[in-house]
Formats: sequence, C-alpha cells, structure tokens
Amino acid sequence: MKYLLIIINLLLLVGCSKNVETIPLVIYDYEDLYMQDFRTLIVDNISGDYQFASYDSKNSQVIQNEIIESVLNNTYPLLVVNPVDRLGVYPIIEKAKSVNTPIIFINREPLKEDLDLWEHVYYVGAKAEQSASIQAEIVTELFGGNPSNLNQYDLNQDNKIQAIILKGEPGHQDAEIRTEAVVEYIEDLGFTLDVLTIQEAYFSQTIAEEEMQNVIDDFGTQFEVIISNNDAMAIGAINTLKENDYFVDTNENGIINRETEPWIPVIGIDGLPPAINLIEQGYLYGTVINDSAAMAQAINELTYSIINNLPLTDLTYPLIDETYIWIDYKKYTPE
Amino acid sequence: MKWFNKLSIGKRLNISFVAVISLAIIFTGFFTFNRSYDTIDTIVEDSSKEINKQIILNYENYFNDVRNLANYIESETEKHDLNDSEILEALYVDYARLNTDTITISLLDMDGMVLVSSQSSSLQSMYLKQRDWFQNAVLNDGIYYFSPPHYQDIFQSSSEMVISVSKVIDYTSNGISYQGVMLLDLSTDKIEVLAKQTNLGDDGYMIIISDTGQLVYSSNESCLDPSCESVKWVQDTIIGSDYITLDGADLYGNINTIHGTRWRIATFVDVNIIDATRTNMIVSLIGVLAATVVASTITAYVLTRQITLPLQKLTAHMQEIETHENFHQKVSIEGQKEVVILAHAYNQMTEEIKGLMDRLVTEQKEKRKTEFIALQAQINPHFLYNTLDSIVWLSEQKRNEDVIQMVIALSRFFRVAISRGKTIIPIEKEIEHAKNYLLIQKIRYSDKFNFEFEIDEEVYQYSVVKLILQPILENAIQHGISAEFDGYIEIRLLLKNDSVVFEVENNGYGLTQNQINEIYLMIENDHKQSVGLRNVYQRLKLYYGNEANLEISSVVDENTVIRITIPKQEVTK
Repeated sequence: MKYLLIIINLLLLVGCSKNVETIPLVIYDYEDLYMQDFRTLIVDNISGDYQFASYDSKNSQVIQNEIIESVLNNTYPLLVVNPVDRLGVYPIIEKAKSVNTPIIFINREPLKEDLDLWEHVYYVGAKAEQSASIQAEIVTELFGGNPSNLNQYDLNQDNKIQAIILKGEPGHQDAEIRTEAVVEYIEDLGFTLDVLTIQEAYFSQTIAEEEMQNVIDDFGTQFEVIISNNDAMAIGAINTLKENDYFVDTNENGIINRETEPWIPVIGIDGLPPAINLIEQGYLYGTVINDSAAMAQAINELTYSIINNLPLTDLTYPLIDETYIWIDYKKYTPE
Repeated sequence: MKWFNKLSIGKRLNISFVAVISLAIIFTGFFTFNRSYDTIDTIVEDSSKEINKQIILNYENYFNDVRNLANYIESETEKHDLNDSEILEALYVDYARLNTDTITISLLDMDGMVLVSSQSSSLQSMYLKQRDWFQNAVLNDGIYYFSPPHYQDIFQSSSEMVISVSKVIDYTSNGISYQGVMLLDLSTDKIEVLAKQTNLGDDGYMIIISDTGQLVYSSNESCLDPSCESVKWVQDTIIGSDYITLDGADLYGNINTIHGTRWRIATFVDVNIIDATRTNMIVSLIGVLAATVVASTITAYVLTRQITLPLQKLTAHMQEIETHENFHQKVSIEGQKEVVILAHAYNQMTEEIKGLMDRLVTEQKEKRKTEFIALQAQINPHFLYNTLDSIVWLSEQKRNEDVIQMVIALSRFFRVAISRGKTIIPIEKEIEHAKNYLLIQKIRYSDKFNFEFEIDEEVYQYSVVKLILQPILENAIQHGISAEFDGYIEIRLLLKNDSVVFEVENNGYGLTQNQINEIYLMIENDHKQSVGLRNVYQRLKLYYGNEANLEISSVVDENTVIRITIPKQEVTK
C-alpha cells in the first residue's frame, strides 16, 4: 500500500513537472458541422507543449460570456475564441485586457474598432469577399468565361445567368458579404447576372431543403445556377433538386455523368467533406474551400509563439497589422 | 452510566431511542444545513444568472424581430425602384403601423437626405449625416447600429424618446444601385415593458448601457445618469457577475451582452434574500427536526410503554406482595406473549408459595402448641414430689396446722396449674398460684424467707400465660435464700403503657453483668441449666412473640430483679 502511494505521488510529481499549458478553445456551437471539423483540425495539430480544452457556447453569447469569465479567472496564458456575436466581442477584449490574457479570435471576425482596443488580440480567418470572388470565378468559368458568349449552360440562351442565391443568416457578416460580393464580382467580370431570388436559409441544410422547394415551385426551370453562401445549404438544395429530378442517375452508378445525365450546377463555400464527396459524385458543381487546415496551422503557430513569448514576425502565415492572419480561400471544382 | 443502569426498562428504552433518533436527526440536520448553506449562494447566483439570461433572451427576441423586420424592409427596398417611391412609402407606412413599437421607417441617401419615410410630417432641415446613428451605420457596413435613446428630432411634429436602428443598405433609383442608410426609430416603451416583465425581486433592478457607456435604460430611479454607481460598476466589471454593495444595498450583479446590439445589460438582485432564505431554511429545518424528534419520542414512548406496561404491572404486583404479603391477588396481564407467560408463571408461583406458607403456618402452630404443652408440663413433677415429701416430714413432726395449710395450698396450686387445660388465665389466678407456691415453700423452708405482693389492681382485668411466675419464684428462692440472712421476695405487678409488667425482686448475693449475660444466653438457647427461666422465656416468646420480654437486673450483694413484660390481653369471659 505504502509503495503504491509512493508510486502515485511520483506519477503526480511527474505530471506536475511536465507542466503542459492548457489553452481554452471556446467554440460558438458544437452543432455547427464546419466548426466540428475545424475544431478537430485545431486540436489535432498542436505544435508544442500545450493542449486545448474545448468549450461549447451552444450558440449563446450569454453562455460564452460565462465560459470566458470562468476561464479568465483561471489565468490561462491565452484564449482562443470563436465568438457567438461578433458585435459582443468588445467586453471580452476589455475583460481579457484587465487580466492581461491575450486572445486569438477565430472564424467570426470582430469589428476592427474592437480589435483595436488592445494590442494582444488577434484574428485568424479568411476574407469573406475572397470567397465571393472565387465563387464568382467558378460561376463565370462554368458559363464559358466569355461574357459576350455564354456556353450551353445558359439554358435559355439569353446570354444572362439566371441565378438563385441561397443566403445565410441575414445580418451575418459572411452572408451579407458573400451575397453582395458574389453578385458584384460576377458583374465586374462583365457577366450579366439575373438573380431570380435570394432565399434566406440561415446557413442551414434543412432550411435550404424547404426553401429550395419554394424556389422550384416558383421558378420551375428558369434558373441556371444555384449560388449558396455555404456548403450546408448547397447540400440541402441538392437533396431537394434530386427529389424533383433535376439530378437523375439514370445508370444508377451513384455518379452523375455531366455529359449524359441530367444535372444542374450548385456551388457552395467551405469545402466540407460531404460537399467534396458530392463534387466527386457529380452533384455539387464546385465549392470554395475555406482552408481550415491552414487556419488550424496558423492558429497553432500563433498560439505556440504567444505562450512562448516568441516574436510574431516569423510565422508561416504573416501577421497583418499585428492583428490579422488571413488565410486564402481555394477553388475546388471537378477537373 | 451507573444512574442509567438503575433506571427502569421503559425509561432506558425511551432514553436510548430518543437519544439515538435525536442524534441521527441532529447530525442529518447539521450536514444538510452545512451543505445547503453553501448551495444557497450557488442557488442565488444561479437563479440570478438565470434571470439575467431570461431578460437577455426577452430582449434578444425583441431585437431579432426588429432585425427581421429591418431585413425584410431591406430586401423590399432593394426590389422597388425609387421611381415608384409611393410603393415603398406605402410599404414603410404599413410596416410602421403593423409594428407598434416602430415609430418611423426611413431611407436616407449617403448625404443624409431622407428619400422615403413612413412619416410624412415635414422634416427638420438639418445635417442628419452628423447623427451618430448615421455615422455608425456607415462606419460598420453590414451591421445594424442600435443607438442609445434620444429625442426623435428629425421630424418636427415628434418629441418622443426613440432608439434608432440604422444600417447601410442598397437601393435602386432609375435602375442604378446606390447605397443608403435605413433608419428605424423604435419607441423606448418596449424596452421598459420588457424590463417590467422580469422578476428581479423587490430591490432588484436592471440597467442597459451602450458600448459608449451611455445609459440606454435603467429600472432603478436612483440611477438615471451614467455617473451613478451601478453604471460605474458595470464599466469596471465589463462582463461577468459578482457580489457588490451599491448605495448601501447588498446585491448580486450580472453583466452580459445583448446579442447584435453592442449593448450590455446588468441585472442586480438583492442578496438579502440569501439571508432571508437561510433564516427560512434554518427555521423550517429546526421545525422539521423538532417535529421528527417529538414524533419519534412519542412513537418510542408508545412502543416502550407497550413493552413495559405489563412488566410494570407485574413489578407493582410483586411489590404489593412484598410489602403486604398479599398472596391472594392474581395478576392479570395482557400484552406481549413473553410477559403473559411470565405473569402466568408468576401466578402459579405465588399460589404455590401461598400453599407452602399456609402449610408452614399450620405446622408452626402445631409445633408451638406441642412445645408449649411440653414446656408447661415440665414444671410440676419434682415440685410435687418435694412438697409431698415436706408434707410427710411435717406430718412426722406432727405439725398438723402446717400440713393442713400446705395441702390446701397444694390443692389450690394445682387447681390453677391445671386450669381445666387452659393456657391463658386471668392474672388474678396467676397471682393466686404464685401465692400458694410461696406459701408451700415458705412452710418447707421454715420461714427462712418473707415475701410481699405489690399489685396494681388494674392488672386484674388482663390475662397472662399461666405458670410464668412460679419458675421465677423458684429461682428467687433458690438463689435468694441463704443461711446467713433472711430471704426477702417482692412481687410487683404494674401497668406500663400497653404492657403488664411482672417484677420479682429478691435479696441475696446478686449477679454480675457477666453472669446476667450468661443467663440470657442460656435461656435463649436450649441449655441444661436455668431450666425454669428458659421455660418461662420460651413460652413467652412462643405465645406473645416479640411483644413479651424477660429482663434481669441486679446489684451485687443487694438484689436481683427479674422483669417480665407482656402485652395487655383482656380477660375473656
């Protein structure tokens, strides 16, 4: 018994002396498919002697505030926060400043004026406009790339792109910017975009399924492309389109052959694994990969540098304005 | 614990039960209280946070509705060209009317000129571009700006307090897309209504402040200014919760953000309720504990009573027998099987004892009677032989007078002695018997001694065991007569309290105390010597028990007194 206690004590001592720093990772909502992926990438790619402790804010800023309050009381060297309400970030920054705990914000970009409140707050993310510009690129390339002479996908041959836009949560930064910017970029490229309707599907696959049915009921075969603010809504739209025979796998090989089988282009953003699958199967035409792996790497690198007091100048992904790390979106379409 | 072992079973059971139960209850109570004492804090904190959340939820729901309306207006605005400004205006009017909290809906161009408005009254001609709601909307493209309450001053007719919600949106005029600012002026009433729906307790209140530290709303009348303590505390604490004392009141404050508004809401709950809750808890806890102790005491009492009552009855009955030797009563006990068996056995036992005792008494009586008769019978023979020898001797001496006297005396002596077989005779007879005896002896001893009776006449109404004086007199003659001096015997009978006292005094050498003690020893035991005295003593004891006594006192070379005390027993006729 005595020996057992000694061994346990030794183990405890070893455990203590190892002194692995724990970094709270506060996620806005575990239910979010993209964040599930992203969180796994962040936690699995730690680059040093620290570990992440994840917290679920359950899509409630109140819960997030509670988590922040409690983790700030425990003097962690750093917090990584995926805010629920990007407008409600300034109290978190002020609170962190008061206890001198740096914060890396991820996924939702706080207002610049808030990030400017303190020097030790950072944001790792992608520029929403960029996703829209790449999405615009995919759309225009699909239609042949020549604005004055659209290819066979201009079904009614009017040289205009009849589009349905699936918009995320109104007021959501990404939803607003992606919706607005994709239209602008397509038109900047010289194409005429005829937006038949903008359906608000709140980034949700199930809502998108319902909204798509409404679109089909209202517009039948008038639309030539569906531009979605994210992959989840694109997947939802595809599910409804399949039911309505816009996609028919006539030879039942599980793959839509764009040459021989009926299909309609749907384009998403995020590059979720199921979306990539759907691209392989020929359902989803393309997506803009939100490079989560690169972001996870950038977050880990920044985390490691901050807790080890290393200079922030030699990062793989450069720190802009001593605050931002921008990760580029990537185009993903079938070859 | 000695005292405890001395207690009755019932009391011991009661004390044990109550002690154990009370201890258990007190411990339970103590731990319960201790645990809840701490949890009450948590409960208060949690409930305060819960209230805060509820309030926030109410506001967020409301602002969500506002945003949804604004989103709708935004998309409608984008759809309708300003060429047909009447359509858009009608729409704005409709929505403003449908949403009673929305006082006006307006669209402004980037120069701050009102393009469309639900309110048709004439506009104040001023630079709306300078307004914070305008500037903040432009500053953060894509988000809704919620302003602190202010007087609605863009319309001449209005002087209401409003909250401005503004955002940069797109509109089309003559087919060209422009950016403009959408403005919704909300009545502050709703903020107040929502605040009043919440239950923050009697002394609780809430305040809402904007990101710039302006007071949006306060339900506390003593805090209507951003410089008040509550606002200062919110500014210092930023977000989170803590115990605070503000303006002398102990509060638990909770600060959170309201989603999408950049406002913070602080709720304050009076923590004196913690003390009140604690007091309540202690009171109810003590109440419950006391009730439990009382209930268990009663239960214990009833239970032990059921067990011990039959035992107590049995005990009482046994004590009754012990003190009054009353073997005739039987115990009738109902209750536990064991006790009934015990009582039954006890009844059998007393019955047996009763039988045994009765037999013993009868046997004793028989034995005493026999002994008594035997003792009584021992007296006479040798005296008769001696007397008869004396009579012969007197006859030979021709002392006829003496012979006659002696024979008469002898005859009387025996009449009394026999007394028709009675054991108890009137004292008068006993005296007669004594006199006759002395007469006979006096003649036999040729007047070597004298005797005298001194009698309280009242003694004649009492009776005595017969033949108690004669052996003593015989003794007195034997030891009181010597050749050196004349013997003298005095017999005294007197009443003393409830007793009759016989005293026989004789002169002579007397006895030492040692000798007296020796005699006592002899007469109390069967001893060959002092046969006469012993005979008297034992018959007295047999008949009167301890009520009779025989005492010897003596002064050496003076006298010896033998005193017999018997209880008064009236002569029966």
